[in-house]
Amino acid sequence: MTATVYAAVDAQTLADAVGLGAIYALMAVGIGLVFGVLRLVNFAYGQLIMAGAYTLAFTAHWRVVWSIVACFVVVVALSLLMDRAVFRPLRGASPAVMLVTTFAIAFMLQAIALLVDIRDDTIGEIATSIAPLNQPTTIQGVDVRKITIVAVVVAAVSLALVALLLLRTTIGLHMRAASADFGTARLLGVRANRVIAFAVLLSGLLAAIVSVMLTVQFPFVGPDFALRDTIVVLVGVVVGGIDRLWTATLGGFAIGFTTGVINGALPTEQTVFLPSAVFALVILVLLLRPAGLFAWGRGAVERV
Amino acid sequence: MADAPALSIRDLEVRYGAVPAVRNLSLDVGKGEIVGLIGPNGAGKSTTLHAIMGLVSARSGIVKLDGHPVLGRKPESIAHRGMALVPEGRRIYGDFTVEENLRLGLAARRGRYGKDVLAGAYELFPVLRDFRKRQAGVLSGGQQQQLAIARALVAQPDVLLLDEPSLGLAPSLVDDVFAALAEIREGGFAVLLVEQRAQRTVALADRTHVLSNGELRLTLGPDDAGDTEKMVAAYFA
Amino acid sequence: MRRLLEPVVQFLAPALLVVGVGIGSTLVSSSNEIYFLNALVSVAIVVAIYVFIGNSGVLSFGQMSFVAVGAFAAGILTIPLESKTGVLPELFPLLRDHTIGNVASLLLGAAAGGAFALIVGLPLMRLSGLAAGIATFAVLEVTHNILREWTKIGPGATTLSLVPETTDAVQATVGALVVIAAALAYQRSRLGRRLRASREDPAAARGVGVNVHRERLWAFTVSGALAGFAGALLVHLLGSITTEQVYLELTFLTLAMLVIGGLTSLWGAVVGALVVSALDSFLIEAEQGVDLGISLDLPQGTRLIFLGAIMALVLIVRPSGLTGGREFRLTR
Repeated sequence: MTATVYAAVDAQTLADAVGLGAIYALMAVGIGLVFGVLRLVNFAYGQLIMAGAYTLAFTAHWRVVWSIVACFVVVVALSLLMDRAVFRPLRGASPAVMLVTTFAIAFMLQAIALLVDIRDDTIGEIATSIAPLNQPTTIQGVDVRKITIVAVVVAAVSLALVALLLLRTTIGLHMRAASADFGTARLLGVRANRVIAFAVLLSGLLAAIVSVMLTVQFPFVGPDFALRDTIVVLVGVVVGGIDRLWTATLGGFAIGFTTGVINGALPTEQTVFLPSAVFALVILVLLLRPAGLFAWGRGAVERV
Repeated sequence: MADAPALSIRDLEVRYGAVPAVRNLSLDVGKGEIVGLIGPNGAGKSTTLHAIMGLVSARSGIVKLDGHPVLGRKPESIAHRGMALVPEGRRIYGDFTVEENLRLGLAARRGRYGKDVLAGAYELFPVLRDFRKRQAGVLSGGQQQQLAIARALVAQPDVLLLDEPSLGLAPSLVDDVFAALAEIREGGFAVLLVEQRAQRTVALADRTHVLSNGELRLTLGPDDAGDTEKMVAAYFA
Repeated sequence: MRRLLEPVVQFLAPALLVVGVGIGSTLVSSSNEIYFLNALVSVAIVVAIYVFIGNSGVLSFGQMSFVAVGAFAAGILTIPLESKTGVLPELFPLLRDHTIGNVASLLLGAAAGGAFALIVGLPLMRLSGLAAGIATFAVLEVTHNILREWTKIGPGATTLSLVPETTDAVQATVGALVVIAAALAYQRSRLGRRLRASREDPAAARGVGVNVHRERLWAFTVSGALAGFAGALLVHLLGSITTEQVYLELTFLTLAMLVIGGLTSLWGAVVGALVVSALDSFLIEAEQGVDLGISLDLPQGTRLIFLGAIMALVLIVRPSGLTGGREFRLTR
């Protein structure tokens, strides 16, 4: 069995897995940033990515550059709107209420997308302009799709920039303080609304980046675009450890990479029970380390 | 308005639900003054500070900072107007460096500042300079208290509120804290000091109010520090 | 006298609503009857879910697994023997060669749901908060995956049909009443009270000797059994079932019902289920064109928008739900 798996995990699969892990890592940061300052798990994060994908599809007849700009504008605007209309009134609510409300928003946005989409009597739009990036190129005899390289590079650069922002700038310091202890931060003069808006903005930018990269690989856009991915990333984030940004990111990457490897290694007939195996593993990890796989120290300290 | 006290409180009332925690509280703190607030546990001392700082909402009353009313505003706004609180238990960011903790204090600072803005803090508490790149969590209790005070001072507030700074500290460290407070008074700050150590507070402060069951019972001067009878009577009034 | 009256009132209030809906179902046209009966089955499902979430304060996304297990168990074992081998050729012999009656299938649903919940709950009840949410969601995913792919225990991805449609007005009403009574009995018992104490303040509860893990497990198991029972009611109402019908959308819908009604009370669960069912039914009709004086014709798929929007609005404006999360009382 192991021999079969080994043989199947070729460089192509590894490359794809790293690419997927990179994208999931960005999503994890987007989710983690908002959780840090608001203690809110945004189930509707995937809908931001979906909105970006639809924008790319609807502007497919524009020049690529402008299409991507439009995508960014729409996603960031939607993200800020979500904060204003949903997150702000929910501040101070119980975690259960917050969870269920974003769940509701997620369903609502999906349904709105369906309404908009179905006006041409088909579900799904195709983002044709940026699909060419999905072409393979050969590096040292291995077929790698251009988008995989782009994804990894973009993700690495984005993560580095975010890290730089958080560690070296004043607003980054304020955000970290707000995530660790918001009450004391406000005492010291850190402006709550500003920090939250910044986190939401950053989160939106990352969603837009992910939107572009996913749409290149999966140009067929439907209302459930990125839904599966968001659920998987959420699971990865909690398994990795949602309390700290780096453990959340690592969790996102890990689950993306693992999914990519397993999907590529096993033949299709054997993958029907894959979700069960993965989720059973998730349960196991959460039982052993409820605070997260990568969280150190006191072990089962529940934050939420 | 030159003679208006830096901090002025009139008829402050704070309730937790139906229970009044603080009633009819009035006091002033002027520049270059330390005003003490002592009393038994549960008397409402911390609540008073929290209400002034906007962390809990007050039923009624007036709080003026340099003549401007601030009751009911958000904590960060009050901080920006020139009031700083050193909270009970210090609330240091243990995972951040000492320098980062101090830089956080700059969030409320008004006006411009240069690169060596933290020099004053390092001068007042030299140990912080030695540890400035280390994680704040490795500092001892006494050093963390110094960091908490320095962090508040870095914002250059007009009024400094302290909530039991000597809590959990060894006697020699308590000396350091009280000495630092005397220096801070020299610097022209208006200080409202909530403390458990009644005698030392009465000795240090320009005047000390005794709070019991949410109400001000008595005001003591430094000369009363040796008068045990008076202090006991005040506590159990 | 007041003490004796309280449980009676707390039962009668939701019971009267339920009976009212049951009677109503017999009075309307047969095309509208389904909405009423659906509402009653929804009450059963939502109350079952409430038994765990409302009493423990732990948010579980996996309760639908037990509804699914109950529905499929009851469904598979009530399909007429002659048709079974043709429709479900790959079944285990135990399932293929036996058929049971209506009431037996309801009890089987409860047993299956309860047993599954007990097994799952034993390890999982140690978790709280976000970890519990994700772990229970994982249970839902595993259940859905296995039911969908393992053709030896069920129809897999195809629809399970030919199930006798025995959930009429009487069965639906009685079924809902049974679930309500069981839920009330549980929450008023010592077990239920101990669990509610742990919901308010886990540390304090432990301090007075409450074994939080064990109390949660009790609630989880009872909830699972009631959910399985409700699942059996469901499959006998529809006459068929697919894995997608007891998966994410129904999870969302029932959670919405519970939250809108009021997360922490039985009264809230019942009110929420009925109100949202009514709303949902109306929206389904509106999607096909309805006449309210002005003609209302909503495009397909809008009902989820409205439900989502209303749910979010209620949560923002009145987080404790329509009933404020309290049981029904006669006096103010």
